[in-house]
Amino acid sequence: MAVDNHSDIKQGPVSDPAFWVEKHGDYLYRYALMRVRNREAAENLVQETFLAALTARKSFGGRSSERTWMVGILKHKLIDTYRKSFREKSISEIQTDEEQTVDSFYDAVGNPGKYPKDWLPDPEKMLNSKEFWEVLKGCLAKLPERTAAAFSMRELDDLDTDQICKELGINPTNLWVILHRARLQLRGCLEMNWFEKKAENA
Amino acid sequence: MLNWEKTEKTPLITSCKQAARLVSVSIERPLSLRENITMRIHLWMCRTCTLYRRQISLLRKAFVRHEEVLALTPPSEGESLDAQSKKRIQDAIVKSSCGETQ
Repeated sequence: MAVDNHSDIKQGPVSDPAFWVEKHGDYLYRYALMRVRNREAAENLVQETFLAALTARKSFGGRSSERTWMVGILKHKLIDTYRKSFREKSISEIQTDEEQTVDSFYDAVGNPGKYPKDWLPDPEKMLNSKEFWEVLKGCLAKLPERTAAAFSMRELDDLDTDQICKELGINPTNLWVILHRARLQLRGCLEMNWFEKKAENA
Repeated sequence: MLNWEKTEKTPLITSCKQAARLVSVSIERPLSLRENITMRIHLWMCRTCTLYRRQISLLRKAFVRHEEVLALTPPSEGESLDAQSKKRIQDAIVKSSCGETQ
């Protein structure tokens, strides 16, 4: 095919792999680290991504940027990691764990154990604050691996219920309780480590 | 026990625990009419859950932006690959590309 002849000469639109680590290494590492929160795992994911990209580089059409293409590969690798974290326990055990954690945020009649405080009047400013992001990443890291996996797929990678359930082998009810638990926990963690600290320093 | 599945038996007046569940579930699927009314009645009466709902939506807004934030802000401490790791990965790439039959 004519297209193949072209790519033989030009090696496709992919840049020289010798510079990949310098160009994309840190970005991919941070991207992975936000989702798996384990340095070694994140580092291995970056390496696997590069090696897969190397094998697939001739089929890269250049329709997206090289970075986007590599992130796409990394996303597939991440899903494998997420899946593994769900294999360690049975679904019913997971469901019970998550429900118990949700319960722990409330008393017997369903009132919150801790009442939320009114947060910053200026959400835009908050979302632009480097400090806020550090706290948010720290709070994500405190979620158990499984909870973080499902939550990352939903909130960071914007996958829908059907896709997540299919990948993780769980049902929507399982997923929704996990997401709710994650939201309760993140909200509480942010309040404690960001809003309350801010108030103390103010 | 909370009802996670769609149900018509949700009481119209409900606890914060149930209301927060409905807030969370409403992000994932459309609520039934009854669930929706239940959630709205509760939110109308309850400042706590109204705050919860606003905070959750703020969190969601933050996560939508995370890629942009990663791309625009320099890595913080411990967020970049150290020289040793970079070399290790680089070596793996070189080794793998030499192994290719060209």
